[in-house]
Amino acid sequence: MKLKEQHSFTALALVLAGLLGPVPAALADDAPDPHAHCREMAAAAKLKRATRSTADYKLPGVSLVREDGAVVTLPRELDDGRPVVLNFIFTTCTTICPVLSQTFTQLQERLGSEVGKVHLVSISIDPEQDTPARLQEYARRFHAGPTWRFYTGTTEASVAVQRAFEAFRGDKMNHTPVTFLRAAHGHSWVRIDGFASSDELARELRDLVATR
Amino acid sequence: MNRVEGGGVTATARRTRGRVRAAAASFALLPFLLLPLPGRAGTTPSPAVGERLYRDGLLPSGKPLQGRREGGVGVEGAVAACATCHRRSGLGSWEGQIVIPPIIGRYLFRPGARNVEDVDLPHVQGYVPRRDPYTDATLARAIRQGKDQQGRTLNYLMPRYQLDDATMASLIAYLKGLTSAPVPGVTRDTLHFATIITPDADPVARKGMLEVLDQFFADKNAGYRGDSPPMQSTRGVMYRVNRKWQLHVWSLTGPPETWEAQLREHAAATPVFAVLSGLGGRTWAPVHRFCEQASIPCLLPNVDLPVAAEQDFYPVYYSKGVLLEAQLITRQLTGQRQKLGLRRVVQVYREGDVGAAAAGALQAALATSGLETVTLALKSGPAGSGLASALGDSGAGDAVVLWLRPDDLAALPTPPARLSVAYLSGLMGKLEEAPLPAAWRGAARMAYPLDLPEQRKVRMNFPLGWFKVRHINVVDERVQTDTYLACVILSETIGHMLDSFVRDYLVERVESLLSHRLVNGYYPRLGLAPGQRFASKGGYIVHFARPEGTQLVSDTGWVVP
Repeated sequence: MKLKEQHSFTALALVLAGLLGPVPAALADDAPDPHAHCREMAAAAKLKRATRSTADYKLPGVSLVREDGAVVTLPRELDDGRPVVLNFIFTTCTTICPVLSQTFTQLQERLGSEVGKVHLVSISIDPEQDTPARLQEYARRFHAGPTWRFYTGTTEASVAVQRAFEAFRGDKMNHTPVTFLRAAHGHSWVRIDGFASSDELARELRDLVATR
Repeated sequence: MNRVEGGGVTATARRTRGRVRAAAASFALLPFLLLPLPGRAGTTPSPAVGERLYRDGLLPSGKPLQGRREGGVGVEGAVAACATCHRRSGLGSWEGQIVIPPIIGRYLFRPGARNVEDVDLPHVQGYVPRRDPYTDATLARAIRQGKDQQGRTLNYLMPRYQLDDATMASLIAYLKGLTSAPVPGVTRDTLHFATIITPDADPVARKGMLEVLDQFFADKNAGYRGDSPPMQSTRGVMYRVNRKWQLHVWSLTGPPETWEAQLREHAAATPVFAVLSGLGGRTWAPVHRFCEQASIPCLLPNVDLPVAAEQDFYPVYYSKGVLLEAQLITRQLTGQRQKLGLRRVVQVYREGDVGAAAAGALQAALATSGLETVTLALKSGPAGSGLASALGDSGAGDAVVLWLRPDDLAALPTPPARLSVAYLSGLMGKLEEAPLPAAWRGAARMAYPLDLPEQRKVRMNFPLGWFKVRHINVVDERVQTDTYLACVILSETIGHMLDSFVRDYLVERVESLLSHRLVNGYYPRLGLAPGQRFASKGGYIVHFARPEGTQLVSDTGWVVP
């Protein structure tokens, strides 16, 4: 099972590599990448409207409600073996969230047939307004595929998740654009503050998966 | 704060007094966007065409407006509409560290002033003191190519729009007129507000509400320092224009069909800036329609049956009232159905009361559930009349839902034998004070779309202390507290508006600021956003702890149905 997963990730890395141009052969290998740090620096330099950092966040064991109504716990939902790309949104947000969500839409397109191997996660920071039904409608608006899931829950749960990711700004109207990526359970998170393009996210994802 | 402003140039964020300035990246434009389309010579610019584009993102052809950001990210239709970010007033907004500048003609076509000589400039969050004025040509270039008046690249968030010359001219004509008319109800020294009371409103609550309003306005005016000139400093100094508040009570008479005409007459005779609080009875729909049609903000009235039309802009409510209770009860009924072996729901309401709409909403919500629903209307009559026969054939497998006022609750007959469960409306029945007979208390569950008494206790010290100090008799605690809260919210919001007294901007500022409040009387939290018009969104299902008294036990946590 483990082996199979690993293979599918390698395949994903190859697909991403294909999409984004030539990559050193070593990246598709399972061996640790000796140049990871250099490439991280390079990736940081390449981000046009965002800054990149890495951090270890401890996921709180809170319950969230998915857009299909299922009650899930955050760690279990995120630790399913797939790489995760995560953001915080609310459905009546007019300025920041439409851009973040559109970037996810584009990322889905870039990933093509491999999209199923990545988990796109959007967590509401206005959970009382964003009922599962409203999240479903929002998902349709942004052509979300089956692996892009939306989460709501109690205000306390949403705040706990925002706090865990150091993304809590006290109120939904104070929020800032931020995206998080992680290769798998046990790995560090890459934090991207600002508006990363879908190309930049795809590149980041490729690097994460390759060095996994 | 980060600002999206005409002059945003750099690719790095600058920090000025803790505020991060715009990060606007330069980029290569798609060449086709640079090509102006042939204009239709001789076409007169139409502000109406501009308005459709501005508000709804619709082109003169009826097709959706399309915009593009760097990297080919497209926006279309309502999302691409100018109003989405710059808001209906055109005075801009902010989200997090991003400030959206004003784009009304009165702002764009004047130079920024430092120590304001130009008193006609709106002073809002996105105000930029040092800037050159736009011309029609440089504004068109900004919209098409994303270059500001000095040729610098605008912020990434501002899409580029390929508009033909005629459409561009119409949009610019609209911007020149936007938010430039004199605002009704605003004079050099006074802000005029109205409160609306329907003839069927409870007379005790009416007295209590007016006492709070009068006192709040008196307090407000006690701080009036005499006539002051308009805004005379930049936003660097939070100079607040000092104006008196004057309250006008618009008491309606006669049947609801005549209320809109009465309100139009009131508004014509005494123009007001906004409608504050107010008190309704069986219906608020004519007042809601009037506010929307007359473009008057109607903030936080005391109504148990608001109008659920969140696409409307001007009316703003605390909650959906009894409609929210119907949602809470629906959720509970469907969740408990198996456990209680429910087969049928029997609803009872008194004709001519708000329970009719709530019962209708519950019936509609249960339509696809497979639960049989019977809705019974009691004829108007003495308390308790008709209840015995309405509930007569209820029994095992039945859930009874009581949309009743306290006098009917007190006169309930003995509960039907082996009744599974009864639900009642907390708002209609007077919450924990509901005079529910002891025999009903075991089976009865109450919808409670407010914070629980124990949990709101400390928070309530604010309004109750204010009443006490000012010798205001508490005759209807909920109405008076909500009225006081509405006044505080208005006062805070007006304080944030500096002297840009614009009706649309008032609603936009309430949308943005409301969720920052922490102490909200009966509500655990309030929040709005564009397209949200109900500030509190959830509630509890509770039951009485004992056969007598007012102590409640919660069956659920705070639930958002």
